[in-house]
Amino acid sequence: MKKIAYLLLIFLSLNSYAATQRVEVMGMVCAFCAQGIEKSLQTIKDVNDVYVNLDNYFVIIESKNTVGIPDEMIKNIIVDAGYDVKKIETINASVKEIRAKYEKK
Amino acid sequence: MIDLSQHYSKIDTSYALTAKDALGLKLFQAKGEGYKLTGEEFYYLRRLHRINAVESQTNLWLFLGAGIMDVKKNNRSDDQAYVSPTIQADYETRRLYIMGSYQLMRIAHDNFDTSKFKAGFSFYKTSYEETQPWFILEFSHTNSVSEKLEIVPTLRLINKALYFEAGISTAGDPKLHLMYTF
Repeated sequence: MKKIAYLLLIFLSLNSYAATQRVEVMGMVCAFCAQGIEKSLQTIKDVNDVYVNLDNYFVIIESKNTVGIPDEMIKNIIVDAGYDVKKIETINASVKEIRAKYEKK
Repeated sequence: MIDLSQHYSKIDTSYALTAKDALGLKLFQAKGEGYKLTGEEFYYLRRLHRINAVESQTNLWLFLGAGIMDVKKNNRSDDQAYVSPTIQADYETRRLYIMGSYQLMRIAHDNFDTSKFKAGFSFYKTSYEETQPWFILEFSHTNSVSEKLEIVPTLRLINKALYFEAGISTAGDPKLHLMYTF
């Protein structure tokens, strides 16, 4: 019984992914200005990785924790950088996976 | 930021106080028909308004500059204090760029107002990490310094923090513009 509980604990810990959020941004038309968003988001200590996609007007934020970055904090940072947020959602993929999906051409 | 050409050179550095406000310092020199202007200017930049759409961005900017300019004309040289506001509007998508600006600069009895218009397109869309090439046509005119409208076909390259432009005016004057954000 102890062995089963131990294996279950290992299984659950392997499945507790870091949270990833997809943010749709309005006005993000060039890399020169979008880098301000990337730099600002990277200053949050719980952020592990950021991916900017200009073609589809979104930013992906991968957190070090499992709950993600509060929506209000993300919105404030992006609005402060001069852009507007259309939508924020939590997704089930890592920045590495999303980058691989969109950058392969 | 650095601008280099035969008739106009500028070195400019600015610090963003907020996303809407910046303070800057620029040193510049302009040469023209009988004039040589050398100035040091402190300026405040304010983004007055921005409209963010899904595929575009529209901005209205105000520059308020104040400084000292040495005006050399007909072998006479005078240091003059000046105040110079500039209003600028631009519209940008991932493939299109349009900008117009008007700078008011009156020193004593001289009028050095400058008007600029830029329009251009990107050859293709690029990803965030790639260098994006643009073709921009720039029209500018500074009162008193030149009678002619300066037209400069320019190649613009943008790679994240780096913004580089190189062009040659229709009068054969090469121009370089370099901007880097930290």
